[in-house]
Amino acid sequence: MIEYKNVLTVCPYCGCGCNFYLQVLDGELVGILPCKSHLVSQGKLCIKGWNAADFVISKDRLTKPLMKKNGKFVEISWDEALKVVTEKLKQYSPDAVAVLSSAKCTNEENYLMMKFARAVLKTNSVDHCARLCHASTVVGLGKTFGSGAMTNSIGELEDADCIFVIGSNTTEQHPLIARYIMRARAKGAKLIVADPRLIPLTQFADYHLRQRPGTDVALLNGLMNVILKEGWEDKKFINERTEGFAELKEVVKKYTPEYVEKITGIPKELIMEAARIYAQAKSASLVYSMGITQHTTGVDNVVSCSNLALLTGNVGRPSTGVNPLRGQSNVQGACDVGALPNVYSGYQSVADENTHAKFEKAWDTELPSQPGLTVVEMMNEAAKGNLKAIYIMGENPMLSDPDIHQVKKALENLEFLVVQDIFLTETAQLADLVLPGTSYAERDGTFTATDRRVQRIRKAIEPRGESKPDWQIICALARKMGSKGFEYSSPAEIMDEIASVTPIYGGIGYERIEDIGLQWPCPSKEHPGTPYLHQGKFSRGKGKFFGIEFKEAAELPDADYPFILTTGRTIFHYHTGTMTRRTEALNREVPTGYVEINFKDAEKLNIFEGEIVSVKSRRGKIEVKVQVTRKVPEGVIFIPFHFAESPANALTNSAFDPVAKIPEYKVCAVQVEKKPSLP
Amino acid sequence: MKEFEPKIIGFCCNWCTYAGADLAGVSRLQMPPDFRMIRVMCSGTIDPLFVMEAFQKGADGIFIGGCHIGDCHYQTGNHRTKKRVAILKKILSYLGIDPRRVRLEWVSAAEGQKFAEVVTDFVAEIKRLGPNPLKRKFEA
Amino acid sequence: MIEKLKKLAKEYLVSGKVEVIFGLREKDNHLAPHIFTKVEELDSLVVSPQYPLFYTCRPSKKNIIRLIEEKYPDIKIGVIVKGCEERALIELAKRNQIEMKNIEILGVACSREEAVECKCPRPYPNHPLLGEKVEGVFEDKNIEGLLNKGWSERLAFWQSQLSKCIKCYGCRNACPLCFCQDCAMEQELWSKIGEIPPEIPMFHFIRFYHLADRCIECGECEKACPMDIPLLTISKQVRKDVKELFNYESGLDVKQESPLLTTLDEMPMKEGANE
Ligand code: SF4
Ligand code: SF4
Ligand code: SF4
Ligand code: FES
Repeated sequence: MIEYKNVLTVCPYCGCGCNFYLQVLDGELVGILPCKSHLVSQGKLCIKGWNAADFVISKDRLTKPLMKKNGKFVEISWDEALKVVTEKLKQYSPDAVAVLSSAKCTNEENYLMMKFARAVLKTNSVDHCARLCHASTVVGLGKTFGSGAMTNSIGELEDADCIFVIGSNTTEQHPLIARYIMRARAKGAKLIVADPRLIPLTQFADYHLRQRPGTDVALLNGLMNVILKEGWEDKKFINERTEGFAELKEVVKKYTPEYVEKITGIPKELIMEAARIYAQAKSASLVYSMGITQHTTGVDNVVSCSNLALLTGNVGRPSTGVNPLRGQSNVQGACDVGALPNVYSGYQSVADENTHAKFEKAWDTELPSQPGLTVVEMMNEAAKGNLKAIYIMGENPMLSDPDIHQVKKALENLEFLVVQDIFLTETAQLADLVLPGTSYAERDGTFTATDRRVQRIRKAIEPRGESKPDWQIICALARKMGSKGFEYSSPAEIMDEIASVTPIYGGIGYERIEDIGLQWPCPSKEHPGTPYLHQGKFSRGKGKFFGIEFKEAAELPDADYPFILTTGRTIFHYHTGTMTRRTEALNREVPTGYVEINFKDAEKLNIFEGEIVSVKSRRGKIEVKVQVTRKVPEGVIFIPFHFAESPANALTNSAFDPVAKIPEYKVCAVQVEKKPSLP
Repeated sequence: MKEFEPKIIGFCCNWCTYAGADLAGVSRLQMPPDFRMIRVMCSGTIDPLFVMEAFQKGADGIFIGGCHIGDCHYQTGNHRTKKRVAILKKILSYLGIDPRRVRLEWVSAAEGQKFAEVVTDFVAEIKRLGPNPLKRKFEA
Repeated sequence: MIEKLKKLAKEYLVSGKVEVIFGLREKDNHLAPHIFTKVEELDSLVVSPQYPLFYTCRPSKKNIIRLIEEKYPDIKIGVIVKGCEERALIELAKRNQIEMKNIEILGVACSREEAVECKCPRPYPNHPLLGEKVEGVFEDKNIEGLLNKGWSERLAFWQSQLSKCIKCYGCRNACPLCFCQDCAMEQELWSKIGEIPPEIPMFHFIRFYHLADRCIECGECEKACPMDIPLLTISKQVRKDVKELFNYESGLDVKQESPLLTTLDEMPMKEGANE
């Protein structure tokens, strides 16, 4: 008899958290149907969502465990695979092993992975690629507000009077959030966009502030300087709800519009106008993303955003706030459940004695108390030979990390590398052992969208071949290694454990999130969830100002490397392209990498549209096709990082923020060279 | 200011209008320097997408010439042309492109004189309408 | 009315008139298409003007009805349709996209309020088993404003609307009548690839033109647009023109061929339309 079902699930791509149905006919995925009753997506999707069924049925999917023998992968059984991993991992001391978790996996799986690292391997060296996108948010907003997440909800943007977008190409990276920005604009909201590039939003912006890359602190200080000079600050809010104002006031004094114009290149009149519009709006939302975080001054940038919002009282009310947009489907969740080296789930510090004791009791085992290594540090330690084994789940550092030549050296230097993924990625190719995981369509669990909404993903089809859901693999491995506490019958049970040890997820359980999900903090089963944070009181008590001085990026252009390279994404691809490049509709749009270069620069260098040039930095060199454009200003070039054949991250600088350890993807110095023509 | 010299694309059926144009002695006509004639095997092969493409690429007017109804070498190719052009003009008008920028005429191989007349008239009309508004995008 | 429908559906199932029923189901406060095989399941059956039964499935580019027909050529399916869905099925059958030979239509008419919300011109199937045939909506608030404007204002309006487009292809994907294996909207020949917004107005023109004689005015294209582009405004107007020029309406009769595929003798055109 016909078996036809529509399985409601969450899009596996960006952090908007759109829902759709996977249409399944007799166990086969036949299509995608948007969900009209979902809060954010309302029956709409971007091109990635519409095509999210393609990679699931790709021929390239891994279906059996693979082991490298004499440089070649051979298929092995699960029993053998688990035996090998167990034996290997047992050989090393806790300091010599590390784990990379994944923002593409569920909350349950990330929780298990960090539990595995801490309770089984006895190391806190667990991290994931949030390090590479929003570590500065977690640190920065943690310092100022006490909670490093998007303060408000996506839908609230629609009712803001002013939206200030800085360092976010929202239309391309979070299309369904851009929808709400555009709706706000249609209702009369003013839109300010600060971005060095012309992005789809800039043509709808009332003010486009085109700063020189890496000068965001100066720009934000400049806005605050104007606001204070004109007396537009929210004095009542500052008095009642914040601290540290004097320090801020002192620092921003010298950032007059004239001074800031010199640093950023933005005309002072524009700075003054933008300051007025933002400060005088009844409710102003600030939206940012990786253009703010991926700098050596990432934390400074984030703190400056929060300073601006605090100064004008734009926190703790609907349609206001400081709203970092998280890139991947579950990067928010992976952080929330503790796949980070310094915190357990719910941002509970590993260094805190009570927390430590609590988790030792809950998991009934001894736990390490030293914070572990971050991604970039792991690579450094591996290169030095101190780290011997890494277990990677669903990540592809060979494309996503900065300075990938260095990453390759580090991974090759390991004694043992296990990679668990759905495709044989660039990273998996370096592994000693590869374990086949399942895609989002083949498992149950939860993802947490960028506005802190915990939503269900549901199994629609059976796993391919012998592949298994990641949570089952981790449990099997832990049991094989002789550990207790990994006997779960379903992801729902894992979520119940997360709720029991994680105050912000305390009230979350599958029975409550079948229809629309819940936004954390949700401390108890009766709590309705929290659409916007810091109402009446900040998570840390008072909102804190910090005076931040402008610092230049780590590497500036010079005579040898005269261009600034900035990296990013396009709407048609996602992250390292492992999924999108296996999707016909997306590959057709953008089949390969390119470099955007201003037409005046192109003229000077005598290069043309479509020509292959070489782009060189102090760390590496790539060859890539030219796109002559007005989108980037003179002196700046842009390369998307999705493409293995022209990997932008062969060029980027791994210099990182001193606190958040996030690398500077958005600024490095490069040279563009015309290739000598063939004789 | 320089006088506006319209760019016009003429899609002409090989069997009739194209031959008619020959008879008229295109060289003797006061054709605008930018009148580009494209020979097609039947007016029925002209996809309205080509017309839009020509506008997109900067044409100011598009002339379509076919055999009289009943004379099409493929029997009813031009029946479809007529219907398609009607729809095309409607969509153009809603989008804000003056449908008079597209002109459909039946000109037989013997009607050299008629060809001269309709083209002259069309050129004058396009001159009156001014440059294709989609072109502004390129010049900006 | 829904109770009546459930009763009717039950009769169909029990009597063996059909083996399964294809309709909308409510689960966890969300509505989605479902195949009802057992009488007990019918409790969760619903009808809603907001939720269509089918989009074209991708990547196969076939309607779900077609996929079922291919796998189960002999099964009798009862399909609960509103006016728009019936039109879609008829138009698909006309264009050889589905067979309809084992399909039993259970038609349901929408109310006037529902029709207004959908801007639906014909809120009822040909032979509704439930509900009354009420008057449809022929105008769209945008078009009146637009038709009073000059060329350059119209163009400016569409340029600003269409430049919001993020090339999600939702308007095409949601359309039950967009089933071409090689869609022109995707081809570099017509519209530059890899860029948003896509070429204006070419990208959208392709759909307006290709759907001129197929569009059944379900409005799903507009509802699927994340950027709220009023796509239906033009499609509605074009469908009206097709009716005026050829006295033809898509989706009413399987035997009636499209005017754009027939000669002037078979289906003449109102004179003076080329001016
Ligand atoms: S209204 Fe839109 S979606 Fe529906 S048939 Fe017409 S073009 Fe397709
Ligand atoms: S837009 Fe045109 S080519 Fe594309 S699927 Fe629809 S009808 Fe076919
Ligand atoms: S649905 Fe809207 S945004 Fe998507 S392609 Fe169509 S017009 Fe563009
Ligand atoms: S052959 Fe001339 S129009 Fe068909």
